[in-house]
Amino acid sequence: MNRIPAFSLILVLILLVSACTAAAPPPTPTTSGPLTLTFMAGYKPQANLPFVGAYVAKEKGFFEREGLDVTIEHSAGQGEHLQLLTAGKVQVTTQDAAVLLQRRADPGLPLVSIALIGQRGQQAYAALASSGLQTPRDWEGRTVGYKGTPPPDLFALLKAAGADAEKISLVNVGFDPRILTEGKVDVYPVFKSNEPYLIRSWGYELTLWDAADYGVPTLGLTYVTTESILQEQPEALRRFLKAALEGIRYAEQNPDEAVEIVLKYTGPQADPQHMRYMLESELRDAKSATTEQYGYGWQTLEQWSALAEMLVQAGIIPSIDVEKAFGNRILEEIIVIP
Amino acid sequence: MRRWRLTGGQIALLIVLSFLLLWEATVRLLGVPVYLLPAPSRILRTLFEHPALYAQASLLTLGEAFAGLLIGLLAGVMIAALLTLLPGLEEGVMTLAILLKSTPLVAIAPLLTIWLGFGVLPKILITALLTFFPVLVNVLSGLQKAERHHLELFHSWHASRGEVFRHLRAPNALPYLFAALKISAPLALIGAVVAEWTGASGGLGRVMWLAYTNLNLPFLFAAIFILAAAGMLLYRLTVWLERRVIFWQSHPEA
Repeated sequence: MNRIPAFSLILVLILLVSACTAAAPPPTPTTSGPLTLTFMAGYKPQANLPFVGAYVAKEKGFFEREGLDVTIEHSAGQGEHLQLLTAGKVQVTTQDAAVLLQRRADPGLPLVSIALIGQRGQQAYAALASSGLQTPRDWEGRTVGYKGTPPPDLFALLKAAGADAEKISLVNVGFDPRILTEGKVDVYPVFKSNEPYLIRSWGYELTLWDAADYGVPTLGLTYVTTESILQEQPEALRRFLKAALEGIRYAEQNPDEAVEIVLKYTGPQADPQHMRYMLESELRDAKSATTEQYGYGWQTLEQWSALAEMLVQAGIIPSIDVEKAFGNRILEEIIVIP
Repeated sequence: MRRWRLTGGQIALLIVLSFLLLWEATVRLLGVPVYLLPAPSRILRTLFEHPALYAQASLLTLGEAFAGLLIGLLAGVMIAALLTLLPGLEEGVMTLAILLKSTPLVAIAPLLTIWLGFGVLPKILITALLTFFPVLVNVLSGLQKAERHHLELFHSWHASRGEVFRHLRAPNALPYLFAALKISAPLALIGAVVAEWTGASGGLGRVMWLAYTNLNLPFLFAAIFILAAAGMLLYRLTVWLERRVIFWQSHPEA
């Protein structure tokens, strides 16, 4: 066998493959002219409202109009978006408010919410309507699933509803609503805007309980950055947030077009009606008395303190300085009162 | 009188087809919902409805798998050769290799993204890390297992260490290399897919992850079908290559 051509073929192949990856220079922040920024959606492409804001802003040219070149990446949802954010590879990502507070407390990530898009929590608890369960008190003696760790609002919800947590068996089930429909658990935590659509599309009726309805303070997704990015690149963040919020308002006015834009990112694996359901559900939860006054994303110390207090009482975090976890500084510069 | 004689390939095809038929019949007769297990006909329809999407994804994943396999192969062979020529290093290097091999790659995948960016490089590296160990272990045993009387013969000819390596140890290790390839080639596909599963902007792993998180099972299984077919092709390619390269060994099944 002639060795030289085989070896050079291998070399050429390796070079070719590595050449494909050599591009993508890191974003270099400057203070004038066009800026670059990497936004990482905290999960797979879907119609979560903060994702939609970025997709629409990108596709409708809102970022471009602001003089901002945005690269959109997606996290696999294992927390790597926070890792990449704190490593400076990403400038803005999305994170659930409760998890943001937990990661600030431990391991002490310097996360700052620059806009609170979800004014109510994303999660609810679901049971098949055929189970006959009416209130969380009926969960006693039943099996309740959770994903990874029991959600902090679970115990607050049980307490508020007067149910005895000791009489409920909790099992870790991971992400898979089929666990509920196959009868492996009686109650399953769902993202309100997501699994209920899927499960109903399979022909099951659902009963849903939202902790917020029982007076438990819950908050949803935020646009999050870090203390140092906020210090060093406020202009890029301002341009990003302005265009992304415009994207959210555009999606509210033009939901059909917004879903079409979302589908460009999800690929054909996603169901358009499912994405529409998610968008509408999250638009509802993005509105509150606060946003009526100040527009999408506005956040108050009362909201964050109430959430932190609930997490402290559940023994999930020690008491922390909530004021550092969020800031309206960027929002104040671009405020659009509806 | 002529007898029906089936070749090995035809028998294999028959077995696969009967398996698919049984699957199809089970799903239809029991009315298994599509979100639990889709029928093969539904999976193939999905596959043929999105040829461009699957072709693009497959090309990327196969490219990553192939590049990773080549790097893993070269690294494994080179380290094995080094350890044979400098036996003093063996224990230290093998300890390191086993430590590397025992690292759950899924856990360090985000770190590789931090260091190497969002492109294909981290995926190739994960594939290379996954495939190099079987090559190293197999080729090392092949190189070391030269028969004593052959070695004595070479010594009687005053062959240098390099000559012994080139004319005795290296040819002796070739069958071991191919045994390793038969393990590493399908592993390379898994490596590329797992790497993409933990965050990528393209490839079969991403298609599968998106399909799974949307519980779109026909989409998920279509990708599995492609991977299975690719794994089988790679295996056959390895066997074919083995026969061409190690022509002096007998091949009873040929």
